Amino acid sequence: MDCDNERLVTLLAKSAQGDRQSFASLYQQTSAAVYGMCVHLLRNTDEAQDVLQETYIQVWHHAGEYHADRGTPITWMMSIGRYRCLDALRRRRHHVDFQQVESIQESDAPGPMQMADAQSERQRLSDCLKDLDERYRATIEMAYYRGFTHQELALAMGQPLGTTKSLVRRGLSVLRRCLGS
Amino acid sequence: MKPDHFERNQALASEYVVGTLQGAARKRFEHWMMESPRLRRQVWYWERRLEPFNNTLPKTTPPAQLWDQIEQRLFPEPQASNVAAGQGQGLWFWRWSAGLAMAALLVVLIWTPLPSQSTQGVVAVVQSEQAQPLWVMNASAADHSLTMKALPSVATNTGQDFELWLLLESGVPVSLTVLPTEGAELRIQLSNEQARELLKSRSLAISLEPKGGSPTGQPTGPVLYHTQLVDF
Repeated sequence: MDCDNERLVTLLAKSAQGDRQSFASLYQQTSAAVYGMCVHLLRNTDEAQDVLQETYIQVWHHAGEYHADRGTPITWMMSIGRYRCLDALRRRRHHVDFQQVESIQESDAPGPMQMADAQSERQRLSDCLKDLDERYRATIEMAYYRGFTHQELALAMGQPLGTTKSLVRRGLSVLRRCLGS
Repeated sequence: MKPDHFERNQALASEYVVGTLQGAARKRFEHWMMESPRLRRQVWYWERRLEPFNNTLPKTTPPAQLWDQIEQRLFPEPQASNVAAGQGQGLWFWRWSAGLAMAALLVVLIWTPLPSQSTQGVVAVVQSEQAQPLWVMNASAADHSLTMKALPSVATNTGQDFELWLLLESGVPVSLTVLPTEGAELRIQLSNEQARELLKSRSLAISLEPKGGSPTGQPTGPVLYHTQLVDF
């Protein structure tokens, strides 16, 4: 466990005991990552701020439930935030900017995974995604980064819903085999 | 139908984390997660594996007032002026004990909305360190009832009982009942005030007490579990 994670685990443990100062430090050290993800997913700062509030309230109340199987503390907190963002997206039934989706698909600029650093976990995911069929990769990335539903993915990719569902499922299955190998 | 084999569980877990599992299917999956440690582990596997996606997203510092709003929501009253001396002691006791218990037992609480419920309520599942469910608790706002179902794995102890406490927002514990064991179910009626407080704080704790419950009206044994109820 690296120093950052050790520090975050300590802050979480102290937060679970009701230590507000530790919770404030935890917020200070992690909120930019969680908020950045929320802004990216929701593309609406008001909603992102609401979700951020809910996320840290949940973190405070459930800090004692964190354990190593959940990943690092930041993995755990990002997951809490991400599911809340997805809930907000579903409630909003947001209007997808499909032009933007196409530009994401067709852009020559390095994708997020090309920017991933050399850390093994990241590298592994990056390598596996690179090896994926382009259609699998695109559906998984759009679902993860944009929170697209099956219907939105189908619309964005101009494919029947059934085909899209199969693509997601097969893509994730191939990805898992690669990640687990 | 519940997912019953590895490949299907994996597929559902991955779609849950990615977000394409949605609507009623997502709710059902969350319900299954409550019952299946294996399914939860598969979700955690995917959360860990896909976490590098998050690392590639730009960090954005939230507005400063957001922290103030979080603090106001979590700690709405100034501590010194609103917590009486005795209550302060209770708060200290509970936080201290809960912290120790959490460190010692690493209790895992998993919660999830239940599907197809028409009345408003809250739910929690208390689990052991081995991710084994111990009690399932449902509180109904409609009729002010609290139902506690013990899983068969909760053994009866000849000399002691598990006592359930409602933790007020101030941290003060209020005894609710002695918990059932070995698969038994117990339903109690909450007073209007207890129901109101429970829906406000959502906090419950379980302590180990002498047979029949704490003789003092305050917890005397170790706090084994501390949990939050959530909406379903």
